[in-house]
Amino acid sequence: MSKNVNSTQFRTVDVDAYDEDNYEDDARDTGDSGAAEVTERANQVRGLLNQLKTKEALKIALKNPPVGNKDASVKEQNYETVVSVLKSFKAADIDAAVADLDMVEIDILMKYLYKGFTCSPDKAASLLQWHEKVVAKGGLGSIVRVMVDRKGI
Amino acid sequence: MTTKTEQQLFVGSPVTSHAFNGALDKLVVSDNSTTVYIYAKEANGKWTKETELQKHIERVKCVDWAPKTNRIATCAGDRNAYVWNLNETTGVWAPSLVLLRIERAATYIRWSPAEDRFAVGSGARLLSVCFYENEHDWWVSKHIKKPIRSTILCVDWHPSNYILAIGSCDFKCRVFSSALKETYDKPETSGWMPKLSKFATMLAEFSTQGWVHSVKFSPSGDKLAWVAHDASINIVHMDNHDTVIRSLTPSLPILTVIWASENSVVCGGHDNFPSLFNIVAGESVSKGIRLDVKEKKAGGGMSAMARFKALDRTGDDTKDASLDTTHQNSIIELRVVKSDATGNCSQFSSIGMDGKIVHWDLDALASSISDLKI
Repeated sequence: MSKNVNSTQFRTVDVDAYDEDNYEDDARDTGDSGAAEVTERANQVRGLLNQLKTKEALKIALKNPPVGNKDASVKEQNYETVVSVLKSFKAADIDAAVADLDMVEIDILMKYLYKGFTCSPDKAASLLQWHEKVVAKGGLGSIVRVMVDRKGI
Repeated sequence: MTTKTEQQLFVGSPVTSHAFNGALDKLVVSDNSTTVYIYAKEANGKWTKETELQKHIERVKCVDWAPKTNRIATCAGDRNAYVWNLNETTGVWAPSLVLLRIERAATYIRWSPAEDRFAVGSGARLLSVCFYENEHDWWVSKHIKKPIRSTILCVDWHPSNYILAIGSCDFKCRVFSSALKETYDKPETSGWMPKLSKFATMLAEFSTQGWVHSVKFSPSGDKLAWVAHDASINIVHMDNHDTVIRSLTPSLPILTVIWASENSVVCGGHDNFPSLFNIVAGESVSKGIRLDVKEKKAGGGMSAMARFKALDRTGDDTKDASLDTTHQNSIIELRVVKSDATGNCSQFSSIGMDGKIVHWDLDALASSISDLKI
């Protein structure tokens, strides 16, 4: 048989790299913004939860998520912080806590809820309780913003 | 069915684009096919189909009517645009081809305020600004390419005639200079163009999280509003490009926006109804006021015909499947029909995927909806 039939090396070539019109997303993860802040925040939140100040803990947990960070463990750590706060709420208090949040915080919370659905499906029941209350305030628009988000929280 | 706030015209298939003529008695409509229709308003106020403009070989994506010079511009997926001129004696619209030189479908077309040129956005990631060349008796185009990275979805001209804004699928809204030497433009500096810039110079760039579906300059041209697929409304003033007033709405994404006055916008989109947003104290946007007033159905039940239809389609004759909004599907485009000299809109029209063209009277709505302030 002819020689060129056997080698399939050509299949490993990344053709997109040679395409000059290839669209490169501005929203790629670069840098290490907020790694120290995330640890600091985790400590702060733990302290507030020990004092049973759940509403304040929620506000702090949702501030400045490490969106631009290329280190997945930093994002994971922040995610754990947020989940620990969500877990500490009693079902009756969720309404009051959500009412306190502004639209930007609502969006961040919604992103973490959807991350929770994928990463922690065992907690889905409590996350869905939160989801219902957040949609009541943030509307379908907050869900749309989770779906169009390119960076991922 | 007409109420004092709406009149409706049913085209029968999703309407992709529409435009009124200067006298507001004719309407050009594209219904997602290769044909473009012109509707005329009769003496009794009813709209009927008058002519068909058939030249495109792919779906017509956008149409625009230049009110003063009475020319229609259409663009389609066949990578062409045509300018249609009316022969007054025969009443026939004659097309003349526009050389766009694009390799992908044309998506949007708009005449400039002076109507001596028009802009065509395309999937080829570039904008063609087309003007008439007298020596050769045809329309030629110049391209704005850098740094647009994806399909252009919407274009709007600044009242000055040489600045335009482009919204595209690369999540950005940009403002460009389109001052042409060929048409002897004499641009002046302004908040958008602090230094005289030549054609295709980018003057400003704004980011969003979603595709920019619609972009509009305010009536004076000082402010720019755009709506994106992340369900946001964004407004910026030309003097301060860093402060973008961003409203994260709780609704589904908005597809189209028009200015109702210098300080308020009307939006429509996947929520199927138009809503009014006011700019509060130049800093934020108010909550949207729904302009589609829900009317309680007289008799409180379904008609016998509706019952049999529902039974046939869904096997259940107790639920009325129609939505309580005037449009039964997304609103694709809003157009200002009548506005006064300062740009305060009194009437606007909307088209939807449900095939309806609805005429809204903003003045009548202002009196009937209690907290509507423009």
